[in-house]
Formats: sequence, structure tokens, C-alpha cells
Amino acid sequence: MEPVNVQADLDLLAERFPGVTVAAIPAGGYEVKCSLENYLDVVRFLRERGFNYGSCITAIDWQDRLELVAQIYKLHPDYLGSPVVEVKVDGLPRQGAVVPSITPLYPGLNWHERETYDMYGIRFDGHPDLRRILLPDNWQGGHPLLKDFVDRRPQRPRLVRQRV
Amino acid sequence: MEQTKELLINMGPQHPSTHGVLRILVKLDGETMTWAQPDIGYLHRCFEKLSENKMYPQVIPYTDRTDYLSAITNEHAYVLAVEKLLGIQPPERAEYIRVLMAEFQRICSHLLGLGSMALDLGAVSAFLYAWRDREKMYSIFERITGGRMLYNYFRIGGVRNDLPEGIIGTPQDGRDKADKTFWGFINYLDSYVIPEWDVLLTGNRIFQWRTQGVAPLSSQDAIAYGASGPVLRASGVKWDLRKNVPYSIYDRFEFDIPVGKENGDCFDRWWVRVEEMRQSSRIVKQALQWLAENPGEVMVPKLQRYPKPPPGEVYVRVEGSRGEVGVHLVSDGTQKPYKVKWRSPAFTHLQLIPLLAPGFKVADMIAIIGSLDIVLGEVDR
Repeated sequence: MEPVNVQADLDLLAERFPGVTVAAIPAGGYEVKCSLENYLDVVRFLRERGFNYGSCITAIDWQDRLELVAQIYKLHPDYLGSPVVEVKVDGLPRQGAVVPSITPLYPGLNWHERETYDMYGIRFDGHPDLRRILLPDNWQGGHPLLKDFVDRRPQRPRLVRQRV
Repeated sequence: MEQTKELLINMGPQHPSTHGVLRILVKLDGETMTWAQPDIGYLHRCFEKLSENKMYPQVIPYTDRTDYLSAITNEHAYVLAVEKLLGIQPPERAEYIRVLMAEFQRICSHLLGLGSMALDLGAVSAFLYAWRDREKMYSIFERITGGRMLYNYFRIGGVRNDLPEGIIGTPQDGRDKADKTFWGFINYLDSYVIPEWDVLLTGNRIFQWRTQGVAPLSSQDAIAYGASGPVLRASGVKWDLRKNVPYSIYDRFEFDIPVGKENGDCFDRWWVRVEEMRQSSRIVKQALQWLAENPGEVMVPKLQRYPKPPPGEVYVRVEGSRGEVGVHLVSDGTQKPYKVKWRSPAFTHLQLIPLLAPGFKVADMIAIIGSLDIVLGEVDR
């Protein structure tokens, strides 16, 4: 097994896409910050450079904006210590954000994108089946992982122990 | 030829092979499945939202409850993530205890996974044997942590307490001490339990007919669809985070990565789990030898009770019993995590069902779900 070199790929990426910033995360891994327009091209570029495993996709609610985070890395039996590359799109609106779907590139992220839609309300353009996944289909209460989410369902009556 | 009408049926939501609630919509043409779609969310407990309102150490018990059959590996993932944010390193003895517990838990989890898959395919006694052996493991866990299933044992910066006196035992411990000492159980496992699985099911013609050639998964599909753990390895991809991305102290142990033989069908997924129990037993033995010789601290001295990690984020991957457990943790510098995202292997594996099921008989669906070894607590979180 040999240590995998992603630095060369990321340097090439920064060269190819001028607005994209690449930085190492102190706790481990790399982050690639790109704009909404570049996002699909950046992921497609990484996919072609051998980042074949889509591990996870999620969002962070920074109270004034949303940030999309996609964790991808190279999975190959010969690689040692393949670091995670987090592709990030910052500055998405908290209401009605639309992001291109990367499910066609990584079919394994299908449900992760559905979950991000369900929990944060980010719509994925081009997703084959974008429906709520963990909450009921007819759920009207909003997107629960937003920081200002309030559960407005009626409280269930508390059980009071009967005195004998 | 006369065409019959296509039939849409519901499997579940209380399907016995799923450790929880799962509904699978299946379209049938005669007895053959033409389409399948899982429907989840019945067990959703808002783990991620709850974690945002708890102090860092208070999240540990909740991680137990995501994958309740392999609680220790979840704790390991979370604790490693917080330690990376804090930039601390647990004492060496604590690391060995963690690996020991995690591998013991893996055996425990695979035992039930194998047992319940056997039960689904009609082998009731195999399931009961699995429980018989798991009970012995539970007794050992109980002596260490106080809990039989949900342990809350790992701490940020170490483990809660050292191993109790006499729990390690000696390599000469026999079957009579299987529920009292680690060595007793490991000897029992090697000499009795795994050979029993081999004879009872792996070499069983009926079992092989039910599983061989059912729902094969190619290695390209396995990687593309995000499979991990035994499901990925059964498809022939030799990828194990313990070896390929060594975390904790796994690089100090000697073990092999079992890989499926042919095409990643249900039988290969079964076989890989049996082999992994053998490998875990090897790791446990090495950890036991080290622990018996090296006493020491099990907690980082002078760590704040409710630590405040500096602002930042981390994504930690751990090889859980079912595959890659990923924790995406964002800190904003307070005592509570700003965001927790739990990447669970079972959630990702369940997506494989629409890919695997079509073309097979409806009875094979049971084998498919069993071979993916899904825990719904982890799917819905």
C-alpha cells in the first residue's frame, strides 16, 4: 500500500478553476470552497481524477446562510490514508436554495441528498427522486435541522398517574 | 403466453429481519420482483438535532442508540472526532482498551447479524445459538461498563474506567469461563462457535442454495453506490478503514482483510462476516496480551469536564461493524456541538435494494435484507 497523493489533484483543480480555494483542514482532510456555478464542474473534475467514493453530503446552517458540504475521497485497495476532500458551497439562501445534484456521479449519495433536502430544504436539481425521506410525505412543519426550527405540532397530553 | 397482472405488495413495516421498522414496496410479476423501493423514517429520533442541544460528553449515550447492536464502534467514532477537534491524545492503555472493546463488539454484532440472517432463511436454532453466545459476551460487557447493550463507556480523552480485576483471564481459560473472562470467551469462540457456524450453515447445502448467486453486486457498483464494510468487501474490494486509513492504534495489530470469493452475492456477504469474526478474535488476543502486561492511566489527566473545542470542523471515518461510520462535527467554540452529521453505513446500504432485488424471487428479498445486515436505528437515527 502506498500513501495517496491528493495534493497534486487539488493543485490542478485550483489551477483549472480560478475562483476555487483549496485548504487543508487542521483536524485532517482538505476543503475545497467553490461557488454554486462551479460546484458541479468541480465535483465532476474530482470524479474524473479518481475520487470515486461519495461518502456523505450534508449542510451547515450558519444562521444567515446555508453551506453545502460533500465529502468524497479515493477508494482503492492499494491506497493508504486516503484523505477526505470536503467540497463546499457557501452562501446559499436559507429559503429555496437550489443546488445541482451529484447523484448521477455518485449514486450512493442519492439518499444523502434526499436527507439534506428533508432536513435543510435545499433542492437538488437533477436528482432522480427528490422526496422527503425521514419525515412523512405530508409533513408541513418545515425543515427540522434549520436552527430556527420550532415544532408547532400540538403537544401530546401528558400522562397523569391515577391515584388509587 | 398469458400475462398476469403486476402486483404491488408491502413488506413490513414490521419485518423481522430488520431490527426495527422498515417497509419495502415490491412489485411482483408472478413470484419475481420487478421493482423494489424501501420506505424508512419510522424510527426517526432526531439524534442530530438533539446533539446540538447537548454538551459534548452528553452526546455519547445517544451515539450508542444509533446502531444499538454495535454501540462501541459508534462511540469510538464520535470520541475520535471530538478528540481531533480538541487536539488531544488518549493514554496508550485507553487506546488498547478501546480497540479491544471495539473488536469484541464487532464479533458480538456479526454474531447477531449472522443469526438473524439464518433465522430469516428458516434456521431458527442458529439464531438461538447466536443469542446463547451473545449473552456470554453481554455478561463480560456488563462487568466492565454496567450496561448489557448500551454502554456509554468511552470518554473524550479515554475510557470511563479501567478493566475490572480478573476480566482478562489467562490464555488457558476454557469454555467454562466463556462468560467470565475475555480469554475464556475467545477460546470458546475459536474452538467452538465459529466451527459451529461453519458446519451448521456455511457448509449447509440448503443454505448455500438459498444464498449463492442471489443478488450479486459488482465491485464497480459497490463503490459507486457507497457500499462499505462487509458488503463492499464481499464484492471483492479489499478496503478496510482499519488498514487503509489507520485510526486509533490499528496499525499495531496483525490481521487480514477477508474478501468475497466470486461475485458478491448473499453467500459472500455471509462468508466475509464469519471470516471477520476470526480476524477480530486475532486482534482481541493481541490487545489482551498487551493489556495484561502494561498497567497505566485510562483517562487524560486534567481534562475539562465539559470541554470547549476551538472552532473548526472534522470528518472522522471509522470501520464500524456494518461499514464506514462517518462523523461530521462542526464546533463553534462553545460547549455544545454546532452540528453533528452521522454518516451511517446501513442508511447507505439500504439504497442498494432497488438495485439488487429486481429479477429475483420474493423469497430472496429476505436473504438480501439479511445479508445487508441493516439496523434501522442507524438508518433513521
